[in-house]
Order: sequence, then structure tokens, then C-alpha cells
Amino acid sequence: MTAAQAAPRPAVGRRGAGSAALGSGRLLRLELRHNAMLWLLPLAFALFWYNGYREIMALPPMWNLRAITLQNRLLFDLMVPATGAAAWMGSREGRRGITDLVAGTARPRWSRQLATWAATTAWAEVGCVACVAVVYLITARQASWGGPLWWPAAVSAAGVPALTAIGFAAGAWFPGRFVTPLVTVVVFFGLAFGTQAASGDHSYWQVSPLIAGAFDIGAAPGVASFYPYLPDLSIAQVMFAAGLVVAILGALGIPVARMRWLAAAVTAAGLAAAGTAVALAGTGRLDPHGMIVIPALHDASNDQPVRYTPDCSRTPIPVCVHPAYAGFLPAVTAAVGPELTEFAGLPGAPARIGQVAAVYRQDPGNGITVSGGRTGAAAFVLPDEVPGRLGTTGAEFAAQLDQGFGLQLMTDVILGGADRPAGTAPSQAQLAVISGSVRFPPSVESRDLEPLYGRLLPEPGSPASLAAKRFAALSPAARHTWLAAHLAALRAGRVTLAQLP
Amino acid sequence: MTAVAVRLVRLHASSRRLPAALVLLAACAAGLRGTLYVHWDDYGALQLPLIFETACAAIIAVTAGSPFGEPERATGRWLPYLRLGTAVTLTGLASGALAAAGTGMPLAGGFPDIVRNVAGLTGIGLLCATVLGGPLAWTGPLAYLVAGVYGLYTDWHPPALSTPWIWPARPPHDAGGALCAAAVFAAGLAAIAIRGARERPAGDGPST
Repeated sequence: MTAAQAAPRPAVGRRGAGSAALGSGRLLRLELRHNAMLWLLPLAFALFWYNGYREIMALPPMWNLRAITLQNRLLFDLMVPATGAAAWMGSREGRRGITDLVAGTARPRWSRQLATWAATTAWAEVGCVACVAVVYLITARQASWGGPLWWPAAVSAAGVPALTAIGFAAGAWFPGRFVTPLVTVVVFFGLAFGTQAASGDHSYWQVSPLIAGAFDIGAAPGVASFYPYLPDLSIAQVMFAAGLVVAILGALGIPVARMRWLAAAVTAAGLAAAGTAVALAGTGRLDPHGMIVIPALHDASNDQPVRYTPDCSRTPIPVCVHPAYAGFLPAVTAAVGPELTEFAGLPGAPARIGQVAAVYRQDPGNGITVSGGRTGAAAFVLPDEVPGRLGTTGAEFAAQLDQGFGLQLMTDVILGGADRPAGTAPSQAQLAVISGSVRFPPSVESRDLEPLYGRLLPEPGSPASLAAKRFAALSPAARHTWLAAHLAALRAGRVTLAQLP
Repeated sequence: MTAVAVRLVRLHASSRRLPAALVLLAACAAGLRGTLYVHWDDYGALQLPLIFETACAAIIAVTAGSPFGEPERATGRWLPYLRLGTAVTLTGLASGALAAAGTGMPLAGGFPDIVRNVAGLTGIGLLCATVLGGPLAWTGPLAYLVAGVYGLYTDWHPPALSTPWIWPARPPHDAGGALCAAAVFAAGLAAIAIRGARERPAGDGPST
């Protein structure tokens, strides 16, 4: 009898829960159909196309470059429509003067507000996901190596609810015709200019979801190519955004008498999460691979280099690059092709030259030093300023290659590289051969080379400079033949300018 | 000016929330002044005034909305002049307040930049008010803010946007940018004076 009486109770409970869920679903569907964010989606797409998409697509098709730039741009472009729509929706009851009218409905105000906010956020997330999908699908068709980086996209997706929560709460608390534009401008100012306060790798401001990785490196090809993308900062940013959302939505419920303590507890939990994320961001440090490590969130297995099969050129000395850089290999071989022909097979010349990762170091303030982690003539570092990044042209990239890689190859072979005794000044003949072998494109100006005069290049107008011009006039094959016969003597400093061809 | 005219102006100003708008314009000017004391990098220094100019333009555009709807249109022939006067007065006051806020401070672009940007952005806002209604008139200036900030960004990172329609990215004395901003402002004034802000059945924006 007791069992028979007790049996229906769970059924009633289930029906009640099911009915509540159904009701919430209906409410959400209604809010989705009558939501301002739906009408602002075209504006969001237009802003993203204008501000983000064109610049992202102008970048070389490398996952790291495009994903990091996407994180920096997407939320920025969604900021105005998402915050504005949320503020508009949040102020609806107050703006229309129906607060008292709807107070008598079955659901508490907090519940109704959450449904409206959820619908606004859902449409904003649709916009966010659509933008990510377009960029990632196009990149997947163009990239020569790698796969999507999901953490930058996750940070953007996590930032959207934070924007809508701020806008919604402002609209709900201060309903009025001016609140929507004002809160949108304030959020724009806070988010866009908040990054200006970021200084160095220990900055708390790194928690801003617009910052992907080290603030003054940004989207660089050397970051997350040779080593995995570190999610440490992204985790802190997602935690911050989620904490902010929970805190704001909780605060919306505090005025509801029956739920005051629950709402206060939720708000406190959200604030604790957001505060913890800010504190974690402040413990970050720049690792040598250009990413931010947060010790409390760091997974040591991410420090292992990525495995890859390099792409190599069919040149007298093969040049091998990371497959993500495969698109730049023709530019590299075109820039240093004559030098490769000249040195192929010479004693001391490398049999193969491979790309190695750049090494990043944090300087005081926002300064970053990027250096090559190479160990001799057999290794080289490609510059971060690749064509398409920050307006870099193909000619500027070629000039950088000649100034960096070409000159480095020459000096390593002619002067002996690491085997060269420290403090030994190069002879005039050595400088003439180096200068006569490296092809600087016309875009390289004299002032760019000035620091190298006397150290790696002869002074302009000097006898060594004239000898360099004579040497440069020879064909690569002729220079190779001469070097094959005289390289040992040249390295030993026994060749004079007069002996140069 | 008769007492009736003064009363008409006062009532029109009240219906458009002009007192609140004036307070907010003053707050924007104070905000600009306060932020100019902070050290910004080159990006920030150039982009900062545009944010406050946009806020002012959005406030002016939102005031265009009428709480009365259709009945107001039948009240007499002075309504277009009142709308025009309100928009011009607020634009002038906003420009003056922002310029005063930048006095003696390193304000990028100076007064010509402020006048051009506030006028152009207000024109966009008034056009939006005509098309979308007063309460939603902020969408135009704020969307243009993103475009303007990006235009200023491309001054460092080529290819720079050279179209004068993105006038915030042009130098303060650039004739093309000033003409475009002036044309948009004139179009906005004409639209708001003749047609007024769009009115919805509910009287205050779309059904959302």
C-alpha cells in the first residue's frame, strides 16, 4: 500500500520538471523569434567583413596567423551589435513601461530575463560561429600544413556572452533611450582600449579576450608553428569571460526577493572565477616560442616540439622549411639561389640548410627581442614579417632574406661561422667576397646596411668595395670555381684584394 | 520671440529629452578630458576622440525620436524647424563641448577634426533615425565607429583606406573628408527636418 501510494510522486515530479522545461523552451523560442540581435546580424557580418575578414584573408594561409588575428578582430566586430542588441532587449520592459504588467506572470522576472538574454546570446553566437566557420573553412582549403586552432575561436565564443550580459544588465537596470548607445560606447572603449594598458608578459590586462598570446608579438608566423599553441592564456580568458557572465546574470536576480541569496551566491561565484582568472593572467611569462605560459595552467607536454616533415627545395644546397612555410619556399630560393649555387660543394658549406624556430625574449615594458635559435650555416630563421602580414610586400620579404639569411650564409662560410676566433676582424678581401656574393634587392637602402659596414661589408667607395663589384660581376659558377680554389686561403686571411678576380 | 514660441520650443525640447541629452553631452566632454590625462600610444591618441565624438552623435540621434507619433505631425507647421533647430543646436553644443574639453591637452586632430567627425556621425545618426526610428538611431554612428577606428588603424598598416567616406582616417584639413561629412550631415538634417524620425505603431521602436 505504501509502495503503491509513493509510486505516483516521482511521476508528478517528472511531469512538473518536463512542463517547466517545455515552458522554458517555448519562452526561449518566442524570444528567439522577437530578438533585436537577429536583425543586427547583417550589421555584424558587414563589420566583420570590413574590419576582420579582409585583413585575415590577406594574411598568408597559416593557421596560427589567421586564428590569432581572428581572435583579435572577431569580438571587436561583434561588440557593437551584440552589446547594443542586448542592451536594447534588456531595457524592453522598462522602455515600454510594462514592468508592472508582466510582474504578475507565472515566471519570476529573473527567469524571463535569462530567457531574453539567452536568445540574444544565441543569435550573437550564431554570428560568431558563422564568422569562424567561414575563415576556418577557407583556411583549411589554402593552408599547406596544420589544422584549426580552436582556442582562439573558443575565447571569441566565450566573449560573446560576456558582451551580451553587460549590455543586457545595463539595459535592465537603466532602461531609457540613451542607455543602449552609452553602454555600447563604454564597452567599446573598455575592450578596445583596455589592451593599451597591457605591458609585458606579467600584465593582468592580458585577460582581455582580444589579446591572443604575447601582446607585442601578436599574430606572428613563428608562434605556434614549431611548438603547439599554448592554451594557458586562452583558458584564463575563457574563465574570466564565464565568471563575468555568471556574476552579471546572478546580479540580475538579486532584486528578486525569493531568490536573493541564490543570486548573491551565484554572483559571488562568478566574481571569484573572474578574479582568479585575472590573477592567473598576471602570473604569465613569455616562453621562448612566443607564447604566454601560466604556470598554474601549464601542461608540460605542450613544450614538446611539433613533429613535421620539412619541405625542401631542389637547389644545389637544399633549403628545407617547416611545411607551414611551404608557400614561402620559392621566395627563399629565389632570394638566395645564386649564393646556394656559389657555395654548393665547397668545404665548410652546409650540405642542407634547415629552418629553425625563432627565439622570443621579453624585454622591459612591451619590448620583445626575436633572435635566431640557429647553430651554424646549416640552420636559418625566416623573418616574422612575411608577405601579407602588416602590409609587408614580397620585395620587402626578399630584402629581409638577403639581409638576414643571405648575409648569414656568406659570413658563416667565408669567415668560418662558429669556428671563427672571437674578436677577429675580417680582412678586406673577405669583406669584398661577402659583399660581392650577396644580392641585395634595390629596396635595400644604404642606411639599412650602414651598421654592417666594416664588420661584414666593406665601406662604400673603399678599395674593398670596388673589388666586391668586380667579384659580383662574375657568374655564380665562376665565383664557385674561384672559391673552390681559394676558400681555405681566404678564410686564413692570406688573400689580398689584388688577388681577387 | 513670443512667449508661445518659447513655450513651444521648451515643450519640444522636453519631449525629446534634451535636458538629459545635454547632461550626457557634458559627461562625454568630461570623459574626453579625463582620458586625455592618461598616456596613450599613437593608436589610442588618434582613436580616442572618435569614441567620444561617436557617443555625442549617438545621443543627438536618439533625441530625434518622438514619444507622440502621428498626432504630433498634425499640430502645426513649426515641427520641421523645431527638429532642425534641435539637431543643429545639439551638434554645435557637442562640438563646442568636446573642443573645450580638449583645450590645452594633446587632442589629436584638434577642433577641425571634432567638427567634421561630430557632424558626419550625427548625419549618419539622423539618417538612421529617419529609417529605423529614434530609439535605434544609435546603430549607424556606432557601426561607423568600428569602420572609423579601422580606418585610423590602416594609417599604420597599409594598404591605407583612402576613401573620403571614411573621413575619420583622413587628416583634419582634408577637403574630401570634410565634404563627405558635410554632405552626410546635410542629408541627415534634411531627412530629419522633413520626415522626422520613423514612428512605429508601438511608439518606441520595433516590436523587439
